[in-house]
Amino acid sequence: MRIILIGAAVAALLAAPALAEDAAVKLVLKNHQFIPHDPEAPAGKTLAIEVSNQDATPSEFESKTLRVEKVVPAGGAVTVKVRALQPGRYRFFDDYHEDTTEGFLVVK
Amino acid sequence: MVCFVRDRGKAAAAFAFIVMALSTSFARADSAPAPDPYHELETKYLFGFTEGADIGAEGEQSLEFETTTQWGRRGGVYGTLEQEVEYENVPTQNFGYELSAHTLAYDVNGVTGAADAAGVSFSGLSTELRYLVIGRGPGSPIGFTLVAEPEWARIDDFGQHVTDFSTTLRAVLDAELIPNRLYGALNLIYAPDVARSPGASWAPTSTLGASAALAYRVAPKVTLGGEAEFYGAYDGLLARNWQGDGLFVGPTLHIQFTGKIMLAAAWETQVAGRASGDNRGLDLVDFPHQRGNLKLEFEF
Repeated sequence: MRIILIGAAVAALLAAPALAEDAAVKLVLKNHQFIPHDPEAPAGKTLAIEVSNQDATPSEFESKTLRVEKVVPAGGAVTVKVRALQPGRYRFFDDYHEDTTEGFLVVK
Repeated sequence: MVCFVRDRGKAAAAFAFIVMALSTSFARADSAPAPDPYHELETKYLFGFTEGADIGAEGEQSLEFETTTQWGRRGGVYGTLEQEVEYENVPTQNFGYELSAHTLAYDVNGVTGAADAAGVSFSGLSTELRYLVIGRGPGSPIGFTLVAEPEWARIDDFGQHVTDFSTTLRAVLDAELIPNRLYGALNLIYAPDVARSPGASWAPTSTLGASAALAYRVAPKVTLGGEAEFYGAYDGLLARNWQGDGLFVGPTLHIQFTGKIMLAAAWETQVAGRASGDNRGLDLVDFPHQRGNLKLEFEF
């Protein structure tokens, strides 16, 4: 019985990361525009945002309110991890083209 | 259409024009709206000597050149210019740090209570640790950051050789009073310090301070503001005996040239104050009359 309980506890600990798994958001950067422009994500869950750059030049995915920045090579992809968020609109942009290339993560 | 347009060429041209107009309008409807040029600003360096709560984005690294000058003491000529070279890194979304090397140029001549000195010296090393407790953004109109700045100095503000260990502890609060236009910040400061001159014993002192600043964005890349700082100087690490205090006010400037290059400048003048045992206005024993600061940041 004790072994079963210990086994259950270990299984629960191992399962915990899976239960807390990130919600996924996928973004494509094409012609210096984010697609989708307003992706949605659940509040209160950590996020994994995958950014695929289909342009011929590198970009830098950045957000002041998400507090992340990462260079995305031309034709490449990166994933950034973001803490659990409150509901709201979080602006992100390409730091190499900030005046033209932005989007908003809508957290509900 | 045949009735109204007799010429086939003209009909084709009219049709093409209509198709083009419709396709253009549909394209506009599909494409994203043009971004607002007044997008978010990092507030860390927006307020001059007063600090903002932002710490930067995870993954951000930068090289900074910070120049601080001080002018004016009782009785003579006093001027210093400190140049810091700083490396900044933000390894997580809540924590950032800086590593700094300091050089001091000084000219002290005839100042009451200070030996004459002039020269340029490597003056010390410091670090700055910033922990973001509350991030400004959706869900919170304010940002709140705790900052610790331990420093070792081998030259003091009067160009004298010392061994000096200090830490400036700062609670930083800021807010966007009008989104992406008007910003405000408050700092509370406690700075214990122990210093020893050659052949002398350790002298513990401390400084308590508070500052407030407002900054308004007059153009997408240019922000102007003003700040007020109040400092009290004390003997003892826990602010035991009051030695003097000073109130400084002055303007601030922040220019975000590009997403990667920033310049911030501030100048402030001591407008009120008093030193222990001195009935004259201003505390020019513990604090200078004028202070200036210039920061140039290159992010990479």
